[in-house]
Amino acid sequence: MMILASAEPFILALFEYSFLRYALLTGLIMGFITPLIGSFVVIRRLSFIADTLSHFSLAGLSIGLFLINIIGFTFISDPLYLAMIFSVIGALFIEILRGYYQNYKEISMPIVMSLGTALSALFISLSGGFNSSIYNYLFGSILTVGNDYLVVIVITAVILIFLVVVFYKEMVIISFDETYARLLGIKIGRFQLVSTLILGVVVSLSIATVGVLLVSSLMIIPVAAAMKVGKSFKNTIGISILFSEASVIGGLWLSYELDIASGATIVLLNLLILMLVGFFRRFFITKRLKKTQTEIVTTK
Amino acid sequence: MRVTITNLTFGYDYRTVLKDVSFKLNSGDFLAIVGNNGSGKSTLIKCILGINKIPPKRIYLDDVDITEFKNFKSIGYVPQKFDDFNYEFPITVNEILQVSRYNKISEDEKLELLDKIGILELQNENINSLSGGELQRVFIVRSLMNNPKLLILDEPTAGVDKSNVEGFYKTVNELNKEGITIMLITHNMDESKANFTHLLSIHNGEAVMKKSTRRDEK
Repeated sequence: MMILASAEPFILALFEYSFLRYALLTGLIMGFITPLIGSFVVIRRLSFIADTLSHFSLAGLSIGLFLINIIGFTFISDPLYLAMIFSVIGALFIEILRGYYQNYKEISMPIVMSLGTALSALFISLSGGFNSSIYNYLFGSILTVGNDYLVVIVITAVILIFLVVVFYKEMVIISFDETYARLLGIKIGRFQLVSTLILGVVVSLSIATVGVLLVSSLMIIPVAAAMKVGKSFKNTIGISILFSEASVIGGLWLSYELDIASGATIVLLNLLILMLVGFFRRFFITKRLKKTQTEIVTTK
Repeated sequence: MRVTITNLTFGYDYRTVLKDVSFKLNSGDFLAIVGNNGSGKSTLIKCILGINKIPPKRIYLDDVDITEFKNFKSIGYVPQKFDDFNYEFPITVNEILQVSRYNKISEDEKLELLDKIGILELQNENINSLSGGELQRVFIVRSLMNNPKLLILDEPTAGVDKSNVEGFYKTVNELNKEGITIMLITHNMDESKANFTHLLSIHNGEAVMKKSTRRDEK
């Protein structure tokens, strides 16, 4: 939630407050990497995976809060790191369960999600119930992102971009056609494991930006909008990143000016873009099609 | 590529799909596989592609036991249905061919291949805007990109209109003449213009191989 009285314009406030700069930088990096990995998630029809992992991360967060606030452990400075570890464990669980249920792979997700949600509920109640920290983790608190956390985000982004550039060919062919990838001798299992683990890290990092409940929207909605207007694969990924960055910048600016929740504003802008794209397609493309059909009839 | 199958029995869970199948193909042979739905044709193909895991000493590709065979990229495969392919997400024909090639073939060779199969003008089109027949031909080009020694075609003309079927088999026959071993699953032998050298009939998992004189007659 924005707690600033918006006395000065957003741009000027950026120069004055370092936490606003951190927030913008975090948002821009997340806005770049979430649709990048989200595109591969959508092609593999695993859109639900981000939600599952974010709910499993919440278990890590609530256990972290329990350890810090109730037990008094001090070796964990920020429960978000525990969320990251849990997200990776959740990703491993999903891969193991997908192996068990070869023909019903999606079963893995509700199982892992149920475990995560149950553990969260248990440790939240043990920690004394809902408080402002839990609220921030559920709906995002990008303004509280510190230097250390930003470093982790930058490292993750660099690793993810490096992997996508180096293994672009393998990632695309596995996502589109597993059978053919197997014929080409690509080790599908290893690739899926690595990509799910990275996805786990990215999901847990997104919690700071938009919160547990809205993570999947950051990852999926820009891709869903770009799919409708993209002319090629690379073009679609580029457009999804553009939509995502526009919603991050617009969302942060609006939340500052109107003093409203930043995570929710980013997600709502993403949805607005999706609706506008849908409208654009329905109105302009249908109109163009009708015109072409009329021309054909006239020519005949 | 030489393909040798010896007493292959395979099933899913408690159902036996292939029963004691044996046959042998030499390099440059052209095998047509016929049989009703559920007779075991696609299961046999999946065994040869290494998708169905089978015990050793059952299938040999170029005299190498399939359990030790590594060079699956020398097999070109065109599936019957595209259910496994996520073609609703935007990707152009060029992009899919780019990521599918293993051998380094020049741009000219790629264009020549596209032209040969008759989809040169489709190279910048989105996969999701193509018809079933056009998509089929994209997959044929893809399967030829890596200079296959064995080409497996699973009912390749199922979605192709009649006018293109003849041209398609002309291309397949030419590829076979170049020395590529071909395995073609087909439903309708009368319609098929393929110059096959052998015919494998599968019925309830049992296979009978016959030599064909169709190529010699033409």
